[in-house]
Amino acid sequence: MMNAGREEVSAIETIALTKIYGEKAAVKGLDLKIREGEIYGFIGRNGAGKSTTLKMICGIAAPTQGEIRLFGKPVSDPVVRRRLGVLIESAGVYPHMTARQNVVMKAKCMGLADEKGVDDVLGMTGLADAGKKKVKHFSMGMKQRLGVALALLGNPDLLVLDEPINGLDPEGIRELRQLIQKLHEEGKTILISSHILGELSKISTNYGIIKDGEMIEQLTREELEEKCQDYFQIEVEDLKRALAHIQEAFPGVQAEVADTRIIRLYGVGDGAGVNRLLIENQIPVYASGFHHMDLEEYFLNRMEGGRQYV
Amino acid sequence: MFNLLRMDFYRVKRSKSVYVCFGILLLAAMIAFGMIWLLATPRGQEISLRIGMLSLEEVKESAYILEGYDSLNFFRGICLDGGSYNLIFGIWVMLFVCADFQSGFIKNVMALHQNRWNYIGSKVMTAWIVDFCYLVLNLLFALLMNRICGNMVPYVGWKEIIFYLSWIWFVTTAFAALIILVCVLTRSVAAGSLAAVLFGSGAVVRILLGILHMFHRGEWLKYSISMTCELGPGKYTSVKDLYVYAVGFGFLALYTVIAGLVLRKKDI
Repeated sequence: MMNAGREEVSAIETIALTKIYGEKAAVKGLDLKIREGEIYGFIGRNGAGKSTTLKMICGIAAPTQGEIRLFGKPVSDPVVRRRLGVLIESAGVYPHMTARQNVVMKAKCMGLADEKGVDDVLGMTGLADAGKKKVKHFSMGMKQRLGVALALLGNPDLLVLDEPINGLDPEGIRELRQLIQKLHEEGKTILISSHILGELSKISTNYGIIKDGEMIEQLTREELEEKCQDYFQIEVEDLKRALAHIQEAFPGVQAEVADTRIIRLYGVGDGAGVNRLLIENQIPVYASGFHHMDLEEYFLNRMEGGRQYV
Repeated sequence: MFNLLRMDFYRVKRSKSVYVCFGILLLAAMIAFGMIWLLATPRGQEISLRIGMLSLEEVKESAYILEGYDSLNFFRGICLDGGSYNLIFGIWVMLFVCADFQSGFIKNVMALHQNRWNYIGSKVMTAWIVDFCYLVLNLLFALLMNRICGNMVPYVGWKEIIFYLSWIWFVTTAFAALIILVCVLTRSVAAGSLAAVLFGSGAVVRILLGILHMFHRGEWLKYSISMTCELGPGKYTSVKDLYVYAVGFGFLALYTVIAGLVLRKKDI
């Protein structure tokens, strides 16, 4: 796409990215495109290939085939790598060192002469007061925050965060969400994967759904909103009889059985009418109401096999 | 690579292992000096007799225990020739390299430095510099102990010391490169420790020596790291003595290259 005569550069672009372990393809021909300034929520089941993809983008795993470009340049370009901050799986930190010493280590690795940036990222992640406490005595959440601090060091333009919410308490999650939103406002591009889809839906501007190593859908927040239909949910005693009456009285309505007692009705405008119908036919209704499908439900609908995998 | 070297030195200064391993080396030297003092000096023998450590006959025999020794080959005898230095230094190298993999910090490093040779180069350089500090300080400590123990062995000239230190420095760094290779290959503290013990103590070479002797090919092991440490020249007498540098540089280059290739092949 051309923008004012200038070619739009993607922050991340993968072309037919493939990773094969032994005879199993963890990632198959993945085409991913993330524009600058997006918060891209990367969603998939365990073992779908999310972490492998992120590892390849970060340069810690080599692709079997395909190409990765960061800001239009090959991923191997040392200049472009300095624009990248990463947190892959758990935070990689030395347990016998303090938070500050770990960040100073990364600063030295990056060749940063000024240690002001070290204090800045510790402040941003709420670790400025960690003092001389060694990382081995940190809680899981503190370690995760230190991982985010390491990713933020050097003010990168692109952040790749793999499960950054893991281990954080509700307050920590809220702080991290606010931090990500702040970084987004500063124009940073963020690629984030998480199993906590509710949290992801609060911040992401774009989504990518990966299944069995293949990208099955990429959509914007607006597109997701459009696709997430409203539905009327009823909890009844006799599901079979209720379904038969509903389908007879409301032939245009699409029904989905969510549980042994729960029915979801898409395209229903008159919820009270459904309730009345069931009561008149002496079918007890325990609960009913309109719902809006969220990211989690949308994701589950796109997957086969159901909720237990999320 | 310079940035990685700065990072490694920051960690070396703050890690306990570098001081603990050095302390063990000094302690081993101190114990060796103490034992020899008890066996070979008149005052020491007096105490040994009193505490029943030696009999009168043994006192006469042990009076000649230091015959032919000077400060340099005494230092070699208590520290390097038997493999204790390589063993302890190897364990430090293993702890230093494996910590990157165990903690996961290597992910931060590799996300920045795509060139895996920088990583290996920085680790070998760090080991090379720490090795130099260990050797020099250990030798100075041995000389000091000799003075404290009443100059049990005569001192050698500085030329011999410099010649010996210069080649042993490269040979022991080559050993460090071998341990780095094992750690990069296995990423396991257990495997690294085992390698440090088996290769450092010379057990592997001795087993190989036994096998090769059956085929009359044992002389080739003269050019192994542990045999070079043990049998390498104490002073320069002819050009032939320079083979020790070839052994040091050869193995250093070989193990560094293989470690680099392994790291390039394997994902983090």
